[in-house]
Amino acid sequence: MISFARVAAVEWVAVSKRYGRRTALGGVDFALPEGAILGLLGPNGAGKTTALRLALGQSRPDAGRVRVAGRDPEDPASRAGLGWLPERLALPPHARVAGFLRLHARLAGLAGRRAEEEVEAALATTGLAERAGETCASLSKGLAQRLGFALALLGSPRILLLDEPTSGLDPLGVRDARAWIQAARGRGASVLVSSHVLSEVERTCDHVVILARGRVAASGPVAQVVREGESLEDTFLRVVGEAPPA
Amino acid sequence: MSPRPLAALLALAGEAVRDAVRRRLAAALALLSLLALLGVESCTSCGAATFTVQGVPFDATRFLGWTGMILYALLALWVVALSGALASDHLDQALADGSALLALARPVGRGSYALARLAGALAVTLGTGALLLGGAAAFLRARYGLPLGPAVAGAGCAALAAVAFGALAMTASLFLPRLATAALVFVAVVAAAAANAAALSGAELGPLWDAVHRFAPPVGSALALAVADWLGRDLPISPALVVARLALWAILAPALLVLVFARLDLGRRA
Repeated sequence: MISFARVAAVEWVAVSKRYGRRTALGGVDFALPEGAILGLLGPNGAGKTTALRLALGQSRPDAGRVRVAGRDPEDPASRAGLGWLPERLALPPHARVAGFLRLHARLAGLAGRRAEEEVEAALATTGLAERAGETCASLSKGLAQRLGFALALLGSPRILLLDEPTSGLDPLGVRDARAWIQAARGRGASVLVSSHVLSEVERTCDHVVILARGRVAASGPVAQVVREGESLEDTFLRVVGEAPPA
Repeated sequence: MSPRPLAALLALAGEAVRDAVRRRLAAALALLSLLALLGVESCTSCGAATFTVQGVPFDATRFLGWTGMILYALLALWVVALSGALASDHLDQALADGSALLALARPVGRGSYALARLAGALAVTLGTGALLLGGAAAFLRARYGLPLGPAVAGAGCAALAAVAFGALAMTASLFLPRLATAALVFVAVVAAAAANAAALSGAELGPLWDAVHRFAPPVGSALALAVADWLGRDLPISPALVVARLALWAILAPALLVLVFARLDLGRRA
Protein backbone atom coordinates (compact mmCIF):
# COMPACT_ATOMS: atom_id res chain seq x y z
CA MET A 1 0.00 0.00 0.00
CA ILE A 2 1.19 3.48 -0.78
CA SER A 3 0.06 5.84 1.94
CA PHE A 4 -0.46 9.42 0.99
CA ALA A 5 0.90 12.10 3.26
CA ARG A 6 -2.32 14.10 3.32
CA VAL A 7 -5.50 13.24 5.20
CA ALA A 8 -7.87 11.05 3.18
CA ALA A 9 -11.21 12.40 1.99
CA VAL A 10 -12.19 8.87 1.02
CA GLU A 11 -10.30 5.74 1.97
CA TRP A 12 -10.55 2.08 1.09
CA VAL A 13 -8.77 -0.06 3.70
CA ALA A 14 -8.14 -3.77 2.96
CA VAL A 15 -11.39 -3.81 1.01
CA SER A 16 -12.63 -7.01 -0.59
CA LYS A 17 -15.80 -7.49 -2.56
CA ARG A 18 -17.02 -10.55 -4.39
CA TYR A 19 -19.99 -10.99 -6.70
CA GLY A 20 -20.68 -14.70 -6.62
CA ARG A 21 -17.46 -16.43 -7.66
CA ARG A 22 -15.97 -13.30 -9.18
CA THR A 23 -13.63 -11.20 -7.07
CA ALA A 24 -14.28 -7.55 -7.89
CA LEU A 25 -11.85 -6.24 -5.28
CA GLY A 26 -9.32 -8.41 -3.46
CA GLY A 27 -8.10 -6.53 -0.41
CA VAL A 28 -7.33 -3.13 -1.87
CA ASP A 29 -5.89 -0.17 0.05
CA PHE A 30 -5.95 3.27 -1.43
CA ALA A 31 -7.23 6.73 -0.66
CA LEU A 32 -8.41 9.96 -2.20
CA PRO A 33 -6.17 12.50 -0.46
CA GLU A 34 -7.89 15.66 0.70
CA GLY A 35 -7.59 18.44 -1.87
CA ALA A 36 -6.17 16.12 -4.55
CA ILE A 37 -7.37 15.03 -7.95
CA LEU A 38 -7.00 11.26 -8.08
CA GLY A 39 -7.22 9.29 -11.30
CA LEU A 40 -8.66 5.81 -10.77
CA LEU A 41 -7.55 3.66 -13.67
CA GLY A 42 -7.86 0.07 -14.70
CA PRO A 43 -9.04 -2.17 -17.50
CA ASN A 44 -12.70 -3.12 -17.72
CA GLY A 45 -13.69 -5.29 -14.76
CA ALA A 46 -10.72 -4.14 -12.67
CA GLY A 47 -12.98 -3.00 -9.84
CA LYS A 48 -13.18 0.77 -10.37
CA THR A 49 -16.96 1.02 -10.38
CA THR A 50 -17.19 -1.39 -7.45
CA ALA A 51 -14.85 0.87 -5.47
CA LEU A 52 -17.11 3.84 -6.21
CA ARG A 53 -20.26 1.88 -5.30
CA LEU A 54 -18.72 1.03 -1.94
CA ALA A 55 -17.93 4.70 -1.30
CA LEU A 56 -21.49 5.67 -2.18
CA GLY A 57 -22.98 3.08 0.17
CA GLN A 58 -24.62 1.20 -2.69
CA SER A 59 -22.76 -1.97 -1.72
CA ARG A 60 -21.07 -3.23 1.42
CA PRO A 61 -17.53 -4.63 1.41
CA ASP A 62 -17.18 -8.31 2.28
CA ALA A 63 -14.05 -7.39 4.23
CA GLY A 64 -12.19 -4.22 5.10
CA ARG A 65 -13.71 -0.79 5.45
CA VAL A 66 -14.46 2.31 3.45
CA ARG A 67 -14.66 5.77 4.96
CA VAL A 68 -16.00 8.93 3.34
CA ALA A 69 -15.05 12.10 5.21
CA GLY A 70 -14.37 9.80 8.16
CA ARG A 71 -17.83 8.23 8.08
CA ASP A 72 -19.21 4.84 7.16
CA PRO A 73 -20.83 5.13 3.69
CA GLU A 74 -23.97 3.50 5.12
CA ASP A 75 -24.47 6.68 7.12
CA PRO A 76 -26.42 9.10 4.86
CA ALA A 77 -24.51 11.97 6.47
CA SER A 78 -21.36 10.67 4.71
CA ARG A 79 -22.93 11.89 1.46
CA ALA A 80 -23.52 15.45 2.67
CA GLY A 81 -21.04 17.44 0.61
CA LEU A 82 -20.48 14.66 -1.91
CA GLY A 83 -21.11 14.98 -5.65
CA TRP A 84 -21.36 11.96 -7.94
CA LEU A 85 -21.38 11.69 -11.69
CA PRO A 86 -22.24 8.08 -12.66
CA GLU A 87 -20.82 6.36 -15.71
CA ARG A 88 -24.32 5.67 -17.03
CA LEU A 89 -26.27 8.77 -16.21
CA ALA A 90 -30.02 8.12 -15.96
CA LEU A 91 -32.19 11.20 -16.19
CA PRO A 92 -35.97 11.13 -15.84
CA PRO A 93 -37.17 11.95 -19.38
CA HIS A 94 -40.18 14.06 -18.29
CA ALA A 95 -38.31 16.18 -15.74
CA ARG A 96 -37.32 19.75 -16.62
CA VAL A 97 -33.61 20.49 -16.34
CA ALA A 98 -33.97 23.19 -13.67
CA GLY A 99 -36.69 21.26 -11.84
CA PHE A 100 -34.49 18.18 -11.62
CA LEU A 101 -31.63 20.29 -10.24
CA ARG A 102 -34.02 21.88 -7.70
CA LEU A 103 -35.09 18.43 -6.52
CA HIS A 104 -31.46 17.43 -6.03
CA ALA A 105 -30.69 20.72 -4.31
CA ARG A 106 -33.38 19.89 -1.74
CA LEU A 107 -32.07 16.34 -1.38
CA ALA A 108 -28.60 17.79 -0.83
CA GLY A 109 -29.90 19.80 2.11
CA LEU A 110 -30.15 23.15 0.36
CA ALA A 111 -33.24 25.24 0.90
CA GLY A 112 -34.86 28.53 -0.04
CA ARG A 113 -32.82 31.24 -1.70
CA ARG A 114 -29.55 29.33 -1.31
CA ALA A 115 -30.97 26.38 -3.24
CA GLU A 116 -32.16 28.62 -6.07
CA GLU A 117 -28.78 30.36 -6.24
CA GLU A 118 -26.94 27.05 -6.36
CA VAL A 119 -29.22 25.77 -9.14
CA GLU A 120 -28.68 28.94 -11.16
CA ALA A 121 -24.92 28.75 -10.57
CA ALA A 122 -24.79 25.11 -11.67
CA LEU A 123 -26.81 25.89 -14.81
CA ALA A 124 -24.59 28.87 -15.66
CA THR A 125 -21.34 26.98 -14.99
CA THR A 126 -22.29 24.04 -17.19
CA GLY A 127 -23.76 26.17 -19.99
CA LEU A 128 -27.29 24.90 -19.49
CA ALA A 129 -28.98 28.15 -18.46
CA GLU A 130 -30.79 28.44 -21.79
CA ARG A 131 -31.99 24.84 -21.50
CA ALA A 132 -33.32 25.21 -17.96
CA GLY A 133 -36.96 24.85 -19.01
CA GLU A 134 -36.46 21.91 -21.37
CA THR A 135 -37.10 18.29 -20.50
CA CYS A 136 -34.20 15.93 -19.90
CA ALA A 137 -35.40 13.80 -22.82
CA SER A 138 -34.66 16.66 -25.22
CA LEU A 139 -30.98 16.82 -24.26
CA SER A 140 -28.28 15.33 -26.46
CA LYS A 141 -25.75 12.93 -24.91
CA GLY A 142 -23.26 15.74 -24.42
CA LEU A 143 -25.81 18.09 -22.86
CA ALA A 144 -27.07 15.31 -20.62
CA GLN A 145 -23.48 14.81 -19.46
CA ARG A 146 -23.28 18.54 -18.73
CA LEU A 147 -26.43 18.17 -16.64
CA GLY A 148 -24.71 15.27 -14.86
CA PHE A 149 -21.85 17.62 -14.05
CA ALA A 150 -24.33 20.27 -12.87
CA LEU A 151 -25.84 17.67 -10.52
CA ALA A 152 -22.42 16.64 -9.24
CA LEU A 153 -21.27 20.24 -8.73
CA LEU A 154 -24.51 21.35 -7.05
CA GLY A 155 -23.82 22.94 -3.67
CA SER A 156 -20.03 23.01 -4.18
CA PRO A 157 -19.37 19.57 -2.69
CA ARG A 158 -16.15 18.83 -0.78
CA ILE A 159 -15.79 15.46 -2.47
CA LEU A 160 -16.44 14.71 -6.13
CA LEU A 161 -16.64 11.17 -7.49
CA LEU A 162 -16.67 11.27 -11.29
CA ASP A 163 -17.07 8.07 -13.31
CA GLU A 164 -16.00 8.54 -16.94
CA PRO A 165 -16.68 12.28 -16.73
CA THR A 166 -15.82 13.13 -20.31
CA SER A 167 -18.03 10.44 -21.83
CA GLY A 168 -20.17 11.91 -24.61
CA LEU A 169 -18.61 15.37 -24.37
CA ASP A 170 -17.28 17.14 -27.47
CA PRO A 171 -13.79 18.73 -27.33
CA LEU A 172 -15.25 21.96 -25.95
CA GLY A 173 -17.10 19.96 -23.32
CA VAL A 174 -13.90 18.08 -22.42
CA ARG A 175 -12.10 21.39 -21.99
CA ASP A 176 -14.96 22.69 -19.83
CA ALA A 177 -14.99 19.51 -17.74
CA ARG A 178 -11.28 19.91 -17.10
CA ALA A 179 -11.91 23.49 -15.98
CA TRP A 180 -14.77 22.44 -13.65
CA ILE A 181 -12.56 19.80 -12.05
CA GLN A 182 -9.69 22.24 -11.57
CA ALA A 183 -12.07 24.86 -10.17
CA ALA A 184 -13.43 22.32 -7.68
CA ARG A 185 -9.91 21.51 -6.55
CA GLY A 186 -9.19 25.26 -6.39
CA ARG A 187 -11.85 25.68 -3.74
CA GLY A 188 -10.45 22.77 -1.75
CA ALA A 189 -12.54 19.88 -3.02
CA SER A 190 -11.12 16.37 -3.39
CA VAL A 191 -11.85 14.84 -6.78
CA LEU A 192 -11.74 11.22 -7.90
CA VAL A 193 -11.82 10.70 -11.66
CA SER A 194 -12.42 7.15 -12.85
CA SER A 195 -11.54 7.05 -16.52
CA HIS A 196 -10.17 5.14 -19.47
CA VAL A 197 -8.94 8.34 -21.12
CA LEU A 198 -5.35 8.18 -19.91
CA SER A 199 -4.23 11.38 -21.63
CA GLU A 200 -6.96 13.27 -19.81
CA VAL A 201 -6.03 11.72 -16.47
CA GLU A 202 -2.37 12.52 -17.00
CA ARG A 203 -3.30 16.10 -17.77
CA THR A 204 -5.79 16.60 -14.92
CA CYS A 205 -4.81 14.40 -12.00
CA ASP A 206 -1.98 14.75 -9.51
CA HIS A 207 -2.40 11.28 -8.00
CA VAL A 208 -3.23 8.00 -9.64
CA VAL A 209 -4.34 4.51 -8.61
CA ILE A 210 -4.20 1.71 -11.15
CA LEU A 211 -6.40 -1.28 -10.41
CA ALA A 212 -5.89 -4.58 -12.17
CA ARG A 213 -7.75 -7.83 -11.49
CA GLY A 214 -9.21 -6.45 -8.29
CA ARG A 215 -5.88 -5.34 -6.82
CA VAL A 216 -3.95 -2.09 -6.64
CA ALA A 217 -1.22 -2.47 -9.25
CA ALA A 218 0.25 0.99 -8.70
CA SER A 219 -0.63 4.10 -6.73
CA GLY A 220 0.80 7.44 -5.70
CA PRO A 221 1.53 10.87 -7.11
CA VAL A 222 1.61 10.76 -10.90
CA ALA A 223 5.21 11.92 -10.94
CA GLN A 224 6.22 8.90 -8.82
CA VAL A 225 4.11 6.28 -10.58
CA VAL A 226 5.14 7.23 -14.11
CA ARG A 227 8.78 6.36 -14.73
CA GLU A 228 11.07 8.76 -16.48
CA GLY A 229 10.66 8.52 -20.22
CA GLU A 230 7.28 6.81 -19.88
CA SER A 231 3.84 8.20 -20.51
CA LEU A 232 0.95 7.28 -18.20
CA GLU A 233 -0.25 4.97 -20.97
CA ASP A 234 3.11 3.13 -20.97
CA THR A 235 2.96 2.80 -17.20
CA PHE A 236 -0.63 1.60 -17.32
CA LEU A 237 0.12 -1.09 -19.89
CA ARG A 238 3.20 -2.20 -17.98
CA VAL A 239 1.63 -2.50 -14.53
CA VAL A 240 -1.60 -4.03 -15.78
CA GLY A 241 0.38 -6.61 -17.74
CA GLU A 242 2.45 -7.51 -14.67
CA ALA A 243 -0.48 -7.63 -12.22
CA PRO A 244 -1.08 -11.06 -10.64
CA PRO A 245 -4.65 -12.38 -10.40
CA ALA A 246 -6.62 -11.53 -7.21
CA MET B 1 -24.82 21.50 3.62
CA SER B 2 -26.55 19.58 6.36
CA PRO B 3 -29.05 16.81 5.65
CA ARG B 4 -32.72 17.74 6.18
CA PRO B 5 -34.42 14.34 6.42
CA LEU B 6 -38.02 15.61 6.45
CA ALA B 7 -37.48 18.04 3.56
CA ALA B 8 -35.77 15.28 1.58
CA LEU B 9 -38.59 12.83 2.35
CA LEU B 10 -41.23 15.33 1.22
CA ALA B 11 -39.29 16.18 -1.94
CA LEU B 12 -38.91 12.49 -2.79
CA ALA B 13 -42.56 11.74 -2.02
CA GLY B 14 -43.67 14.59 -4.31
CA GLU B 15 -41.44 13.24 -7.07
CA ALA B 16 -42.77 9.71 -6.49
CA VAL B 17 -46.37 10.93 -6.80
CA ARG B 18 -45.55 12.72 -10.07
CA ASP B 19 -43.82 9.56 -11.32
CA ALA B 20 -46.85 7.46 -10.40
CA VAL B 21 -49.31 9.83 -12.08
CA ARG B 22 -47.25 9.86 -15.29
CA ARG B 23 -47.20 6.09 -15.65
CA ARG B 24 -49.33 4.38 -18.26
CA LEU B 25 -50.15 1.64 -15.75
CA ALA B 26 -51.74 4.24 -13.45
CA ALA B 27 -53.83 5.61 -16.32
CA ALA B 28 -54.94 2.10 -17.30
CA LEU B 29 -55.91 1.23 -13.73
CA ALA B 30 -57.77 4.54 -13.32
CA LEU B 31 -59.69 3.79 -16.51
CA LEU B 32 -60.58 0.31 -15.24
CA SER B 33 -61.73 1.91 -11.99
CA LEU B 34 -63.94 4.31 -13.91
CA LEU B 35 -65.44 1.38 -15.83
CA ALA B 36 -66.05 -0.38 -12.51
CA LEU B 37 -67.87 2.68 -11.22
CA LEU B 38 -70.01 2.74 -14.37
CA GLY B 39 -70.73 -0.93 -13.67
CA VAL B 40 -71.89 -0.03 -10.17
CA GLU B 41 -74.14 2.65 -11.63
CA SER B 42 -75.65 0.06 -13.96
CA CYS B 43 -75.99 -2.63 -11.25
CA THR B 44 -77.71 -0.35 -8.76
CA SER B 45 -80.15 1.14 -11.25
CA CYS B 46 -82.57 -1.81 -10.93
CA GLY B 47 -82.07 -2.49 -7.23
CA ALA B 48 -85.48 -1.51 -5.91
CA ALA B 49 -87.56 -3.43 -8.45
CA THR B 50 -90.13 -6.14 -7.66
CA PHE B 51 -90.06 -9.14 -10.00
CA THR B 52 -92.53 -11.92 -10.63
CA VAL B 53 -90.82 -15.28 -10.94
CA GLN B 54 -93.10 -18.12 -12.17
CA GLY B 55 -96.10 -16.20 -10.91
CA VAL B 56 -94.61 -15.55 -7.45
CA PRO B 57 -93.85 -11.89 -6.53
CA PHE B 58 -90.16 -11.46 -5.63
CA ASP B 59 -89.19 -8.38 -3.62
CA ALA B 60 -85.56 -7.61 -4.48
CA THR B 61 -85.35 -4.89 -1.83
CA ARG B 62 -84.75 -7.67 0.75
CA PHE B 63 -81.38 -8.27 -0.86
CA LEU B 64 -80.22 -4.67 -1.15
CA GLY B 65 -77.91 -4.99 1.86
CA TRP B 66 -76.26 -8.12 0.44
CA THR B 67 -75.93 -6.58 -3.02
CA GLY B 68 -74.43 -3.42 -1.58
CA MET B 69 -72.02 -5.36 0.59
CA ILE B 70 -70.81 -7.58 -2.23
CA LEU B 71 -70.43 -4.70 -4.65
CA TYR B 72 -68.65 -2.51 -2.16
CA ALA B 73 -66.34 -5.30 -0.92
CA LEU B 74 -65.37 -6.21 -4.48
CA LEU B 75 -64.53 -2.59 -5.25
CA ALA B 76 -62.54 -2.25 -2.03
CA LEU B 77 -60.60 -5.43 -2.88
CA TRP B 78 -59.93 -3.97 -6.33
CA VAL B 79 -58.45 -0.88 -4.67
CA VAL B 80 -56.22 -3.08 -2.51
CA ALA B 81 -55.07 -5.10 -5.52
CA LEU B 82 -54.47 -1.86 -7.43
CA SER B 83 -52.19 -0.72 -4.63
CA GLY B 84 -50.11 -3.87 -5.03
CA ALA B 85 -50.00 -3.55 -8.82
CA LEU B 86 -48.77 0.04 -8.69
CA ALA B 87 -46.29 -0.62 -5.90
CA SER B 88 -44.93 -3.72 -7.63
CA ASP B 89 -42.57 -1.69 -9.79
CA HIS B 90 -42.60 1.82 -8.38
CA LEU B 91 -39.36 1.24 -6.48
CA ASP B 92 -37.95 -1.39 -8.80
CA GLN B 93 -38.37 0.86 -11.84
CA ALA B 94 -36.47 3.70 -10.13
CA LEU B 95 -33.66 1.27 -9.34
CA ALA B 96 -33.61 -0.07 -12.88
CA ASP B 97 -33.45 3.34 -14.58
CA GLY B 98 -30.79 4.66 -12.19
CA SER B 99 -32.80 7.56 -10.76
CA ALA B 100 -32.88 5.86 -7.36
CA LEU B 101 -29.09 5.68 -7.25
CA LEU B 102 -28.80 9.38 -8.11
CA ALA B 103 -31.14 10.28 -5.25
CA LEU B 104 -29.39 7.89 -2.87
CA ALA B 105 -26.05 9.54 -3.66
CA ARG B 106 -27.43 12.46 -1.64
CA PRO B 107 -27.62 12.44 2.17
CA VAL B 108 -30.87 10.51 1.96
CA GLY B 109 -31.52 7.35 3.96
CA ARG B 110 -32.65 4.28 2.10
CA GLY B 111 -35.64 3.99 4.42
CA SER B 112 -36.78 7.49 3.53
CA TYR B 113 -36.40 6.72 -0.15
CA ALA B 114 -38.38 3.48 0.01
CA LEU B 115 -41.17 5.07 2.06
CA ALA B 116 -41.34 8.00 -0.35
CA ARG B 117 -41.77 5.63 -3.31
CA LEU B 118 -44.46 3.74 -1.38
CA ALA B 119 -46.20 7.03 -0.62
CA GLY B 120 -46.18 7.89 -4.33
CA ALA B 121 -47.84 4.62 -5.31
CA LEU B 122 -50.31 4.88 -2.42
CA ALA B 123 -51.26 8.47 -3.24
CA VAL B 124 -52.47 7.40 -6.68
CA THR B 125 -54.14 4.27 -5.29
CA LEU B 126 -55.92 6.01 -2.45
CA GLY B 127 -56.96 8.94 -4.65
CA THR B 128 -58.47 6.53 -7.19
CA GLY B 129 -59.94 4.46 -4.36
CA ALA B 130 -61.57 7.48 -2.74
CA LEU B 131 -63.29 8.39 -6.01
CA LEU B 132 -64.32 4.80 -6.71
CA LEU B 133 -65.56 3.91 -3.22
CA GLY B 134 -67.02 7.38 -2.68
CA GLY B 135 -68.96 7.09 -5.95
CA ALA B 136 -70.17 3.60 -5.10
CA ALA B 137 -71.24 4.68 -1.60
CA ALA B 138 -73.17 7.59 -3.10
CA PHE B 139 -75.01 5.27 -5.52
CA LEU B 140 -75.80 2.79 -2.73
CA ARG B 141 -77.07 5.59 -0.52
CA ALA B 142 -79.17 7.26 -3.23
CA ARG B 143 -80.64 4.11 -4.76
CA TYR B 144 -80.68 1.54 -1.95
CA GLY B 145 -80.92 3.90 1.00
CA LEU B 146 -77.87 2.28 2.62
CA PRO B 147 -76.22 4.51 5.26
CA LEU B 148 -72.80 6.03 4.56
CA GLY B 149 -71.16 5.16 7.88
CA PRO B 150 -70.30 1.55 6.97
CA ALA B 151 -68.97 2.70 3.60
CA VAL B 152 -66.61 5.14 5.31
CA ALA B 153 -65.44 2.41 7.70
CA GLY B 154 -64.97 0.06 4.74
CA ALA B 155 -62.92 2.65 2.87
CA GLY B 156 -60.72 3.07 5.96
CA CYS B 157 -60.14 -0.68 6.12
CA ALA B 158 -59.37 -0.75 2.39
CA ALA B 159 -56.82 2.05 2.92
CA LEU B 160 -55.06 0.11 5.70
CA ALA B 161 -55.03 -3.03 3.56
CA ALA B 162 -53.72 -1.02 0.58
CA VAL B 163 -50.77 0.17 2.71
CA ALA B 164 -50.03 -3.39 3.85
CA PHE B 165 -50.33 -5.07 0.43
CA GLY B 166 -48.60 -2.16 -1.34
CA ALA B 167 -45.60 -2.39 0.98
CA LEU B 168 -45.48 -6.18 0.68
CA ALA B 169 -45.64 -5.92 -3.11
CA MET B 170 -42.85 -3.34 -3.15
CA THR B 171 -40.71 -5.61 -0.97
CA ALA B 172 -41.38 -8.62 -3.19
CA SER B 173 -40.55 -6.54 -6.29
CA LEU B 174 -36.96 -6.26 -5.08
CA PHE B 175 -36.56 -9.99 -5.74
CA LEU B 176 -39.21 -10.93 -8.29
CA PRO B 177 -40.00 -9.73 -11.82
CA ARG B 178 -42.78 -7.16 -12.10
CA LEU B 179 -45.43 -9.43 -13.58
CA ALA B 180 -44.75 -12.17 -11.06
CA THR B 181 -45.01 -9.64 -8.22
CA ALA B 182 -48.29 -8.21 -9.51
CA ALA B 183 -49.74 -11.71 -10.01
CA LEU B 184 -48.59 -12.72 -6.52
CA VAL B 185 -50.32 -9.68 -5.01
CA PHE B 186 -53.60 -10.41 -6.82
CA VAL B 187 -53.48 -14.03 -5.65
CA ALA B 188 -52.63 -12.94 -2.08
CA VAL B 189 -55.47 -10.39 -1.89
CA VAL B 190 -58.01 -12.85 -3.28
CA ALA B 191 -56.75 -15.68 -1.07
CA ALA B 192 -56.86 -13.58 2.11
CA ALA B 193 -60.36 -12.31 1.32
CA ALA B 194 -61.61 -15.78 0.35
CA ALA B 195 -60.21 -17.39 3.51
CA ASN B 196 -61.86 -14.68 5.65
CA ALA B 197 -65.18 -15.05 3.81
CA ALA B 198 -65.12 -18.83 4.14
CA ALA B 199 -64.37 -18.59 7.87
CA LEU B 200 -67.17 -16.05 8.38
CA SER B 201 -69.63 -18.30 6.59
CA GLY B 202 -68.79 -21.06 9.07
CA ALA B 203 -67.00 -23.34 6.59
CA GLU B 204 -64.38 -25.83 7.83
CA LEU B 205 -60.95 -24.59 6.74
CA GLY B 206 -57.96 -26.78 6.03
CA PRO B 207 -54.68 -25.96 7.79
CA LEU B 208 -53.36 -23.74 4.98
CA TRP B 209 -56.54 -21.70 4.56
CA ASP B 210 -56.92 -21.50 8.33
CA ALA B 211 -53.40 -20.05 8.57
CA VAL B 212 -54.19 -17.54 5.82
CA HIS B 213 -57.39 -16.58 7.65
CA ARG B 214 -55.62 -16.18 10.99
CA PHE B 215 -52.31 -14.59 10.02
CA ALA B 216 -52.62 -12.79 6.65
CA PRO B 217 -53.85 -9.19 6.56
CA PRO B 218 -57.56 -9.70 7.40
CA VAL B 219 -58.85 -7.65 4.50
CA GLY B 220 -62.00 -9.73 3.96
CA SER B 221 -62.97 -9.83 7.64
CA ALA B 222 -62.38 -6.10 8.06
CA LEU B 223 -64.50 -5.19 5.03
CA ALA B 224 -67.29 -7.56 6.07
CA LEU B 225 -67.29 -6.11 9.58
CA ALA B 226 -67.34 -2.55 8.27
CA VAL B 227 -70.41 -3.03 6.08
CA ALA B 228 -72.20 -5.61 8.28
CA ASP B 229 -74.63 -2.88 9.35
CA TRP B 230 -76.09 -2.96 5.84
CA LEU B 231 -77.20 -6.55 6.54
CA GLY B 232 -78.59 -5.61 9.93
CA ARG B 233 -76.67 -8.38 11.67
CA ASP B 234 -73.58 -8.84 13.82
CA LEU B 235 -70.69 -11.02 12.68
CA PRO B 236 -69.11 -13.57 15.03
CA ILE B 237 -65.72 -11.82 15.17
CA SER B 238 -64.22 -9.07 17.28
CA PRO B 239 -64.04 -5.78 15.32
CA ALA B 240 -61.28 -4.46 17.58
CA LEU B 241 -59.12 -7.52 17.00
CA VAL B 242 -59.57 -7.49 13.24
CA VAL B 243 -58.87 -3.77 12.90
CA ALA B 244 -55.87 -4.08 15.23
CA ARG B 245 -54.48 -6.93 13.09
CA LEU B 246 -54.97 -4.94 9.91
CA ALA B 247 -53.38 -1.84 11.45
CA LEU B 248 -50.45 -3.96 12.64
CA TRP B 249 -49.93 -5.23 9.10
CA ALA B 250 -50.10 -1.63 7.83
CA ILE B 251 -47.21 -0.79 10.17
CA LEU B 252 -45.17 -3.99 9.86
CA ALA B 253 -45.26 -4.25 6.06
CA PRO B 254 -43.64 -0.80 5.45
CA ALA B 255 -41.18 -1.58 8.26
CA LEU B 256 -40.25 -4.81 6.46
CA LEU B 257 -39.80 -2.85 3.22
CA VAL B 258 -37.44 -0.40 4.94
CA LEU B 259 -35.49 -3.23 6.56
CA VAL B 260 -35.09 -5.24 3.37
CA PHE B 261 -34.23 -2.21 1.21
CA ALA B 262 -31.64 -1.04 3.73
CA ARG B 263 -29.83 -4.38 3.43
CA LEU B 264 -30.09 -4.71 -0.34
CA ASP B 265 -26.85 -4.65 -2.33
CA LEU B 266 -27.73 -1.98 -4.89
CA GLY B 267 -24.43 -2.55 -6.65
CA ARG B 268 -25.62 -5.97 -7.82
CA ARG B 269 -28.71 -4.42 -9.40
CA ALA B 270 -27.00 -1.46 -11.09
